[in-house]
Amino acid sequence: MIDGIRVADGAGESRLEAAIRSATRAAGEWRRRALDPERPWLVGVADVGVACEVILADRLFRDLSAAEHAGLIAWIRASQQPSGAWLDPQTQSPDLSLTSLGWWACVQAGDDPASERMVKALRVVHELGGAQRASFSVRLWLAIAGHIPWGWLPAVPSEIWLLPPSSVLSPSRVCPWARGLLTPYLLLTRAPARIHLSDARPLLLTRGREMIPPRITRDGLVGDLVQNFDTAIKILRKMPRGPLLRASLGRAQTWLAHAQQSHGGWFSARPTLLSLLALRVAGASFDDPRIRRGLGYLRHARGLTRPPLTSASDPPHLGQGLTSPPLAVIARLTRAASGDEGAIPWLLAQELTEPGEWQFRTNAAVGGWPGEAGARHHLDIDATCAVLETLATLPKDSSQRGPAWAAMRRAIEVLLAMQEPDGTFARYERGESNVWMTQAPWRDAELMADASASGEARVQRSARALRQLARMGWRADDDRVARTMRWLEGHVERDISRDSVETLAALGRCAADLCAPDQPLRRAVERHLRGRQREDGSFGTVTATADALEALIALEGRPCVQAVRAARHLVGRIEGEGDALPGATIAGHGFSPCVYDPSAGIRDAALALRAFAERGGEL
Amino acid sequence: MSTPSKRSPERYDAVIIGAGMAGCATARALTMADPERRRRILVIDRHRGVSPRFAGEYIHPRGAQILEDLGFYGPLMAAGAVDVDGFTVLERADGRYVELPYAEIRGQRPRGIAVHHKTLVRVMRAVIREEPQVDLWEGFVIKELLRGDEGAIRGVVLEGDEGPRTILTDLLIGADGKASAVRKLLGLPDERQTIGFTVGIEIRDAAVGLPSFANVILGAWGPVLVYPIAREEDGRTLFRMTMDLPHSLPAKGARLADFLFDAFIPFLPSALAEQAAAAILGHRGHLEMAPTVNLPAPRAAFPGVALVGDAAGCSHPITASGMTMGLRDAETLGEEARRRARAPEGEPWLTSANLRRYRNEHDRYVPTRQALADAIYEAFRGGNEGARAIQRALFEYWESGPEARRRSMALLSCAEGRPRVFLSEYLKTARHALETSLVPRHAQHFPVRDRLRQVRGAVGLATTKLGLVADVMWAQVRPAWLPRD
Repeated sequence: MIDGIRVADGAGESRLEAAIRSATRAAGEWRRRALDPERPWLVGVADVGVACEVILADRLFRDLSAAEHAGLIAWIRASQQPSGAWLDPQTQSPDLSLTSLGWWACVQAGDDPASERMVKALRVVHELGGAQRASFSVRLWLAIAGHIPWGWLPAVPSEIWLLPPSSVLSPSRVCPWARGLLTPYLLLTRAPARIHLSDARPLLLTRGREMIPPRITRDGLVGDLVQNFDTAIKILRKMPRGPLLRASLGRAQTWLAHAQQSHGGWFSARPTLLSLLALRVAGASFDDPRIRRGLGYLRHARGLTRPPLTSASDPPHLGQGLTSPPLAVIARLTRAASGDEGAIPWLLAQELTEPGEWQFRTNAAVGGWPGEAGARHHLDIDATCAVLETLATLPKDSSQRGPAWAAMRRAIEVLLAMQEPDGTFARYERGESNVWMTQAPWRDAELMADASASGEARVQRSARALRQLARMGWRADDDRVARTMRWLEGHVERDISRDSVETLAALGRCAADLCAPDQPLRRAVERHLRGRQREDGSFGTVTATADALEALIALEGRPCVQAVRAARHLVGRIEGEGDALPGATIAGHGFSPCVYDPSAGIRDAALALRAFAERGGEL
Repeated sequence: MSTPSKRSPERYDAVIIGAGMAGCATARALTMADPERRRRILVIDRHRGVSPRFAGEYIHPRGAQILEDLGFYGPLMAAGAVDVDGFTVLERADGRYVELPYAEIRGQRPRGIAVHHKTLVRVMRAVIREEPQVDLWEGFVIKELLRGDEGAIRGVVLEGDEGPRTILTDLLIGADGKASAVRKLLGLPDERQTIGFTVGIEIRDAAVGLPSFANVILGAWGPVLVYPIAREEDGRTLFRMTMDLPHSLPAKGARLADFLFDAFIPFLPSALAEQAAAAILGHRGHLEMAPTVNLPAPRAAFPGVALVGDAAGCSHPITASGMTMGLRDAETLGEEARRRARAPEGEPWLTSANLRRYRNEHDRYVPTRQALADAIYEAFRGGNEGARAIQRALFEYWESGPEARRRSMALLSCAEGRPRVFLSEYLKTARHALETSLVPRHAQHFPVRDRLRQVRGAVGLATTKLGLVADVMWAQVRPAWLPRD
């Protein structure tokens, strides 16, 4: 537990100063926890799905220690709802795939399938249509276990690995997460892979003695046609194809070998898990350094966490993260834990220095930051913007300013080159928001594009990227800045009433740096943002209030009445809840589209209140 | 040299408004054109001492030669001026780098000269003060033109601390800079367009690769220029760093330093960035700043009036050609004055024919210089697809061989004025712009749509510049006998 100050200490320190000091200290503590080499805490808590898959895969790898195994299982069990279901973290409704995996992992760990909670879980799975209707990931495990035929999974023509990366059907055109999944999937299906796992057939709905096959394609005529197309591919697969097949499998294996990063993983936990399975299928031994490094990455991505709605006094569990601590979160924590210049060299050391696939369609030299430490092959614009913002707060006489300037310069080049033709900014790779294969009528086809590349995330990312450009001197007289401005203006005209407070705040901070006070975009954003304040001074969640407060301060110059009310609300929350302020969800990957960042509340509150105080704000 | 006397009206053979670099050089050129010392020349300036605002300091070899011919070079070098060897251009702090030395240009002196502007003006004024034909009045401004029956200039009314003074003259020379009062009194419309602002800071022993060159560094919002301006007594060299700011200043006053710190310093090579940061942080008071102005060359001669230097057209200082052009104006006027050195007493020093010839010559080199300065500035700014394409093309072209660098530098340094060279350089750059737009440097699979967008930008810019190229070509080949407006 981080000590939080509940009231002003009475030693001449104002409530605001006490709250800032408390929040700053808590942010520093979160940063230390996240990077603790012995017992790290997760600052990106995923759903239990990936932990369940790790438990299942351990049947093959035998890598988890007893403590790790017990820790993960305890977390999975603790996350189960009284109804027996595991919930979708976004909708908070029972999730078929998570419940299927949760049930299976618990059984694999030795839980009695006849126990009440397991029976409840099984009932939920059956009510939702059986495991055959679950996500591709669940069906893949069922196929690996031999419970369903491989034909219940979509057929991917191996020849697409021979296509040039510029082709719309090439795997290089899908998002890096999907590419990390598709490639080992091809190798697993060709083998085919087989692991002896505990019996999961009860998860499948049957008609009489026969299992009901899943529909692989979406509903509708096109889906029906594609279902036949899928069958045709499967038939073709059985025919001898000789050198073409060998060449495509060889290409996939080469990609797999090259795509392993310096931290041992492939993009994130799920692609890593499947890649390790594929390597084993391809003949790699347990002692193979690639296997050991991959398992090491998965271990590094684990950390302590508490399931939602549990008390701070409850012991934490071991959770499996999608990645090691997200760099964007670490950068924000570094900024929140002000004065910690010693953290800057670590951030600078994470800069990308090796060419990667993100440069296929991005005309920029190497630079910018990845999503996590050591991810040398993947650029992440969200992390890049977060690190740029942290570096921008370095004192002018800092000893780190020289290397920071060089890194910022490279990052700005990358940022400019990552702009899409419509003016928005890609997150991982250019073109990710326009993946042709998502149009295919297969179920799960939308996973070919990263969900975090579209919707409000795209607006927020574009606004943040534009703000970083503005801070480095770019103005609307540059056609690239003007293009993004036009896109944002179009968004504001159409959709601003639907935007969340976080999006409005990102737009507001961007407009404050780039637009004159009387510009319509700035005025519209400010008006809508101000209209979202509630009676208690908040703007909804703690992070929304903190974001809105920062935006209001940027737009106003001197704190206005609304800013003071928001600050009062935040101070009150810090006094009442200390470091236990609720966090926020951040973008995840693929089957875990969002993760929970427990440090977000106290961190963002620290940043907002400090900005408030620096502008002369008083409660 | 003399101070204004009480008797009035006085008569001078020439009155020069503005005692800056162009005015002093013109005064000196006129005195050298009058070996028998029959003529009297009056030079006035609004500032006692030198103007507080920093201005041009870098002079190409062509201009340095004129300074030497006029006798300024020696005193300037004695006052700390520096010989300079050309330009370097850095695409980014860690990007491509090109050297453009003067020495490779055949048929001209191999070095230019750079000098602190205040030193330049102080020394040049000191030199013309030594001329017995020249009177230099400081603290005076021109208030009115006096015209004869045919509209020709017959005198001027000046305003000083002691009230108005009327001076009779047949030749008025406007050398009072881009905000010329003479131009205004002539009734010429003010066609100045403020491009933006230039901030100047001084750095000792700047960490640049070639200290005797002007170093252009790209990558930030606008180009950064670093060049030597003074040799100091302790052996160190003082450099000027200029940074280009947009017309709508993003920050003013004390916040300007913060803006420069965030928007320019990170884009400099590390050692130079440290020096520049220290110079900005250590600066007390407001930073030196001057507007950058584009003034399409107005008519440079009227009956009895000639405009020289920035008063007769100016453009962005990125090509550092403004001072050289001013010196060429002075040289040309001096040559015309020499033709009339033995003109009978009572006749104007320069006739309408002399002034027409001056205008013809002026109009040959000024449009070329303005077109180049505009194009180079636009390309170095890189504010749109076309400009970025030209920027890439310039580096590709310059890297293609020494002949390419030599020809470009000859044009940029005002040593080359032949229209076919200008046209061939334009076409080669356009070709490289198309090539570099189609073939990206980093992306192996750059989308066709992006390539086409770049090509469209390059073609669009090249097309818009076609009119400019035609104007320049016409200015070069235009027959002198063809009547002008």
